[in-house]
Amino acid sequence: MTDLVRVTVDEREVHVPKGTGIVETALAAGIEIPVFCYEPRLGEGIGACRMCIVEIEGIPKLQTACTTTATDGMVVKTARTSKKASVGQHGTLEFILVNHPLDCPVCDKGGECPLQDLTFRYGPGNTRMTFEKLTLEKPIPISPAISLDRERCILCYRCTRFSEDVSEDGQLVARNRGAMSVITTFEDEPYSGPFTGNVTELCPVGALLPTQYRFEGRPWEIQNVPTVCGMCSVGCNVNATVREGKVKRILSRNHPEIDEGWICDKGRFGFTHLRSADRIVDPIKRVRMHGFEPVSWDDALDEAERLLRAAHGRVVVALSGSETVEQAYALAKLVRVGTGSHEAMLPEEVTHSLDAYGLPLSAIRDAQVVVVLGDVSVAERAPIVDLWIKAARRTGARVLTELDEKAVRAADRAVLIWSGPGGRGGATVAAHAERLGLAGKDGCGAFYLPETPNGRGAADAWAAASDEEPAETESVGLLIVSGDEAANDPSVRALAEKAESVIAISMFHGLAAGWADLVLPGTSYLERDGTYVNLEGRLQRLRRSAMPPAPDELAWLSQLASRFGVELAPHAPMVFAELSERIYGGLSFGEVGERAPLRGYVGAPAHVEAPPLPEPEAAREGLQLVCYKPLFSGPAVERVEELQFQRPPAEVELARADAQARGIANGATVTVSHNGTSMQLRARIAKDLRKGVVRIAREHAGDLRGTVEVSA
Amino acid sequence: MSEALVLGGAEESPLRDLASYRAVGGYAQLLKARAMPPQEVIALLIESNLRGRGGAFFPTGRKASFIPSPEKVAKPIYITVNADESEPGTFKDREIMLRVPHRLVEGCLIAAHAIQSDFVFIYIRGEYSTEYDVLQSAVDEASAAGLLGDVTILVHRGAGAYICGEETALLSSLEGERGQPRSKPPFPAIEGLYAAPTLINNVETITTIPVVLEVGPAEYAKIGAPPDSTGTRLFCLSGNVARPGVYELPHGLTTRHLIEEIGGGVPDGRSLKAVMMGGSSFPVMTPDDLDTKLDANSLGQKGYFIGSGVVCVLDDRTCMVQFALRVGQFYMHESCGKCTPCRVGTRWLVQMLRAVENGTASESDFDLALDVCDRIIGKCLCVLGDSDAMIVASCVTKFRDEFRAHLEHGGCPFGHDSSLDGLFAPSDQHAAHREVVA
Amino acid sequence: MSLTDEIQKVAKRYPESKSAILPALRLAQDEYGWLSREAIEEVGEALDLTPAYCMSVASFYDLFNFEPIGRHTIEVCTNVCCGLVNAQAVLESFERELDIAPGETTADGEITLRAVECLGGCSTPTIVAIDQRYRQSVTPEDVPAILEELRNV
Repeated sequence: MTDLVRVTVDEREVHVPKGTGIVETALAAGIEIPVFCYEPRLGEGIGACRMCIVEIEGIPKLQTACTTTATDGMVVKTARTSKKASVGQHGTLEFILVNHPLDCPVCDKGGECPLQDLTFRYGPGNTRMTFEKLTLEKPIPISPAISLDRERCILCYRCTRFSEDVSEDGQLVARNRGAMSVITTFEDEPYSGPFTGNVTELCPVGALLPTQYRFEGRPWEIQNVPTVCGMCSVGCNVNATVREGKVKRILSRNHPEIDEGWICDKGRFGFTHLRSADRIVDPIKRVRMHGFEPVSWDDALDEAERLLRAAHGRVVVALSGSETVEQAYALAKLVRVGTGSHEAMLPEEVTHSLDAYGLPLSAIRDAQVVVVLGDVSVAERAPIVDLWIKAARRTGARVLTELDEKAVRAADRAVLIWSGPGGRGGATVAAHAERLGLAGKDGCGAFYLPETPNGRGAADAWAAASDEEPAETESVGLLIVSGDEAANDPSVRALAEKAESVIAISMFHGLAAGWADLVLPGTSYLERDGTYVNLEGRLQRLRRSAMPPAPDELAWLSQLASRFGVELAPHAPMVFAELSERIYGGLSFGEVGERAPLRGYVGAPAHVEAPPLPEPEAAREGLQLVCYKPLFSGPAVERVEELQFQRPPAEVELARADAQARGIANGATVTVSHNGTSMQLRARIAKDLRKGVVRIAREHAGDLRGTVEVSA
Repeated sequence: MSEALVLGGAEESPLRDLASYRAVGGYAQLLKARAMPPQEVIALLIESNLRGRGGAFFPTGRKASFIPSPEKVAKPIYITVNADESEPGTFKDREIMLRVPHRLVEGCLIAAHAIQSDFVFIYIRGEYSTEYDVLQSAVDEASAAGLLGDVTILVHRGAGAYICGEETALLSSLEGERGQPRSKPPFPAIEGLYAAPTLINNVETITTIPVVLEVGPAEYAKIGAPPDSTGTRLFCLSGNVARPGVYELPHGLTTRHLIEEIGGGVPDGRSLKAVMMGGSSFPVMTPDDLDTKLDANSLGQKGYFIGSGVVCVLDDRTCMVQFALRVGQFYMHESCGKCTPCRVGTRWLVQMLRAVENGTASESDFDLALDVCDRIIGKCLCVLGDSDAMIVASCVTKFRDEFRAHLEHGGCPFGHDSSLDGLFAPSDQHAAHREVVA
Repeated sequence: MSLTDEIQKVAKRYPESKSAILPALRLAQDEYGWLSREAIEEVGEALDLTPAYCMSVASFYDLFNFEPIGRHTIEVCTNVCCGLVNAQAVLESFERELDIAPGETTADGEITLRAVECLGGCSTPTIVAIDQRYRQSVTPEDVPAILEELRNV
C-alpha cells in the first residue's frame, strides 16, 4: 500500500507515491529536471551540483530537487516557470563552465556528454569569465585502465560516492578543499578492485575515461550492440560499442534485476583479448617432424572427420562452460548422434535442485539475512552479486558467513548463497534451503555461484541432444577440447595425455598447440549469436558484436555434422528453435528478450529434492585451505594489458582471529606449510573470512592442499 | 548598564577551577534544573526568548523543543556544542572557555537534562590549544566531582576548517568525514549526529542557559532589547579602535556607543570608514548607520546582521577593494568544495577583485561581480558562499566610487598607504595548491 | 603505548570509531611531525579505514602537514582584523629574519613560517601562534626576540 500524494509541477498536476523524489515526480509530469551529481543508484541525493534547483511554494530558499521528496499539495516550479530557479540553474551551468575546458572536439566524451547536452539545452551561449581557468596536471592515469582529466572534472562526487557507498572500496576520494579539491587515489596507487570501471560511466563529463577508448571513436561512428557479458555466471547486460566491425568498449546496459547498471572490470576491460596477437585465425594441424602448420578449412574438416571416425564411438567432449547453448547443443548432436559417443566432461557440477528457490539477484538487496557459505569471496566468482550483498548490508541486512539457522528461520526474507568449492552444483545450498523451510517463502531463496558463465546452459544442451547413456569405455579415442578454459584445465590436460588423439577449439596459440592434433579457431562470446543461462537460471541473448576472424563454431560444426548424416543448422536461431522444442517449451529465439525475464523452465518440476547433506567434517588441526580461481585470471584476462595490475598478489588471506592467534600482522610475510611443502606469502587479514579457513589464489597456491599451517 | 552575566564573576580573574566557580554560585542552576521536569526547562528557555549567539539567532528554547522525547526514538539523543569559533573578528567563545569554562559545562548539563540526552560533544576549533586544555580540565573536574551524572561530555578537537562551524558540516566532521555540509532537511533535531536527534548550540548560547535560570526567564526577557533581542551579548570589538576586546553588554546599545564610549573611538586621529558588522559574512556598515542599535531587529531594518557579535572598525586608511579581496580570499580558502556556486564563485570573485585592485577591470565588471554574487546568494548548499557574496556585494555597492577610482588610477589609489596593503592570504601558500596546479 | 593502541583507545570514547579520525590523525602527526604515507596507513589500519579515505579527510583540514615541517611552527594571522593593525608587517618581519616565504621551512629544518586565517584573537593583534600557542599583540619589533627564544628551546 502506497500513499499517493498530489504534486503540481509547473502547473501540471501529478500523483506519485509519497516520498518520491522531485526529479522523479517531475518526470512523471513529463518535465525534465537536469542533474549532474544526482544518480539514484548511488543513494540519496546530496545537492552538490545545484543543477536541479527548483522553487517550492512556501519555501523562500530555492531547493534542490534531488534532495526533496514529494508531499501532498506541494507546488514545484522548475526553471521552466520560475525566474528565480532559472537564474540559479543558469548560474550553476555558468559556474561549471568557468573552469571546464572547452575541448569538446578532442574529448572522448564529446557527443555523449551530459554536460554538453545540458549546456546545449539549458546553458548560456557565452561566458563572462575572462580570467585564467584553473589549470591542473592532466591526464593522470588513476590506473592503467582509467585516466583522469582534472580540468574537466566538475566535482559532482559521483565517482567518490560510488567508491565509498557502492563498491565500498574506499579508494577513489576527494583531496583538499574548495577550489583546490581534486579526485585522487592514495599516493600513486592505482584504483584497483573488481568494479573500478563503473566510474567512467558515472562521470557526467570527460574527466574519467577508459584508456582503452582514448581517441578510438566518435559517437557518430559507433554502434552499441546490446548483448550479455560472458565473463562469468552473472550475465550482466552490456552494450558492446562497435566501430568498423571492432569492439571498442563495453558499457553497462542496466538490467535492474541482474546488474542495476554496474559491471565488473573483467567484463568491461577484458574485451581486448579479441585482438590478442596470438589469436588463432586458421586451423592448425600437428605434422610429424615439422611441429605445426596452418591448414585449409577443407583439410581441417577432413582431418576432423578422420579423427572422429577413428575413435569408433570413444569420443569424449570436454566443455568449458563458456559455449553458447547452441554451440554446446551442436557439438553434442554431432558427437552423440553422429558418432554414438555420449561422454562429456563438464567443467563443473550442475544440478536443478535450486530451481525451487530461484529469485532475481536483486532480491538479495531486500533480504534481511544473507548467508554466504563456501569461503570464496563472492566478488571472485560472481562480482555483481557482491554489490547486491553490500547493498543489502547497507540497508540493514545481516550478512553471515556461518549458517545461523535461527537467524534464517526468524527472517521474513533470507537468502543463502554458496560461493566456493564443495557446493555440489548447488545441491548443498538447496538442501539447506529445504531444511530451513525457504521453499515457497516470498523473498527467500538460494543461489549457487558457478565458476563458468554458461555451465548450466551447456550441460542442459548436452543432455538434450540425446537420451542415450554413455557407454563404459576403458580408453579415449578422441578428446574434443571445447574452448580455452577447458584447454587450460589441468584435468583436461591429464585426460589428453591418455587420449589417442585430441581436437581442440581454441582462441589462442600456446594453450592447446602443444598437445592437440588439430586446433580449430575458437570464438569469443562477443563474436557469437546465441544464448546463455546465468546463475539465476535466466536465459539471455548474446548478440554478435564483432565478426570472428574465422568461421564460427556453428558454421563448421554444421558442415562436419552433415558428413555424419546429422542435420544441424549453421545459425543460432535455428539451432535454438530445435533445442527450445526440447527444453525451453518452444520459446522462440526472438522471444528471449533484450532484458530477459526470469522464466521458469517449462516442464521443470516445482521442487527437486536435494540430495542429503554430507556428514559434517570432524574438527581438524590447522587451517583449512581454500584455493580459488581469481576473477582476474584465465586466458582472456592474461591477454589484456589494462588488467594485469589487477591480478591477485601472492598472498594468503586469514581471518583476524587466526592472524592474531599467530601474531601475524596485516601485510607481513608468512610461511604457509603443508606436509613438508612450504611457501612464503604476504598475509592479508580478510574481514569476510571464517575463523579456521585461509584463502590463496590458485595460481599462488603451488602444491599446497587441504590443511595448512601459517606462521609468522 | 547591567553587570556581566555570562562572564559574571570573572571580571577580575578567570574562574577556571571548580572551587572558584562554586564560589560565585556555580552549578546551583544545574541542581535547580535537575529538580524540574525536562519540559519545564525548555519552557523557561522559550519564555526567556534566548536566541542563538552563533549567528543565526534562532530561538534556543524552540530549537530544543524540536528534539523528540527519548521514548519516541530508538536512537540516543545528542548535544553538540559548537565551539568551532572561526568567523573572522569573533573571539568571544574563546573568552568564555578561558574565563568561565565551568559555566559552559553547567550549561551543557542543563541542556542535556532538558532534552534528556546523555552525550554531549563540544567541537572546539583545532587551533584553540590553551582553550582546549582549560575546558578539558573543567570537564574532568566536574566529572570527578560527580556533577556529570550519567552524562558524557567529550571535547572533540577540530583540525582547521572554518566550514565546520556550519552545523551540518560540524556533524560530518564529527562523524569522521570531510567537513562538508549536508542538505537540509532533514534537520539535525530529527536526523543529526549518527542520524540521531541532535541539538546544536553555540558556546555562548549554552553558557547563557545557567544565566537564564539564575536571573529567571521573565527577568532575563526584560534585559536588552525585548521582545526579540533579550539578554546580554558578548560583543567582539576589534580593528581600528582604541580599546578592543570582548564586552558583555545588553542588546540595544548603539554601534556608535560601543565604538566610541566603550571602545574609545578610532585612534590616531583617523576617521571611521566602515564597520565589519556581525562578522565577515554580512554587509559592511557605513558611518551613516552608526547610530543603529545593536539588536537583531534594529540592525535588520538597515540590512545588517548581528551575527556573532562582531564589530570590527575600519578607519580611513583602509582600501575597501583590498578589504573585499582579503575577505574573498578567506572564503575561497574555506569553501568546502561540495557545491558548485560556492566552490567556483568564491574563486571567480577573488579573480575579479584582484583585477579591480590592479586597475585592470572595467566598470562593467562591477555589475558582473554583483550578478555573480546574485547567482551565489540563496543558491548554495550552505551559507558560506552567500556570506562571501553578501560582504563583497556590499563593498561593491557601498564603495563603488572607491572601486571606480582604482580603474581611473590604474591601480590602488592608496598607493602603499592602505592599512591592508599587500596583505598576504593563506590561500596563496596552500601546499596542496602548489602541488596540484601545473 | 603504541600509536595504534592509543588511537584505538581514543576511538572507544566515541559511539562510532570513525569519529576518532581527527584525534587519530593528530596523534599520528604529534608522533611523526607530519602525515607521511606510512603515518596515514597506520591511522587507517587502526581505525579500519582505507588510507585513501584518511588522506581525503586529513587534506580537508589546514592543521595537517603532508610534508615534513620545522621543529617549530610560526603561524601569523593575516585576516582582516589583525591585518588592519599591521599583521603584514609582522609577517614580513618573520620573512626577513628567517629569509623564507610563508609556507616554507628554514634550510636548517628549524622553523616553518605560515600565514593563517583568523585565529580568534582579534582584540590583541597581531596574533601569532608559536608551536600552536598564541602570542598576543605581536609587533614587527618583537620578532627577533621570539626567534631568539625559539632557537634556544
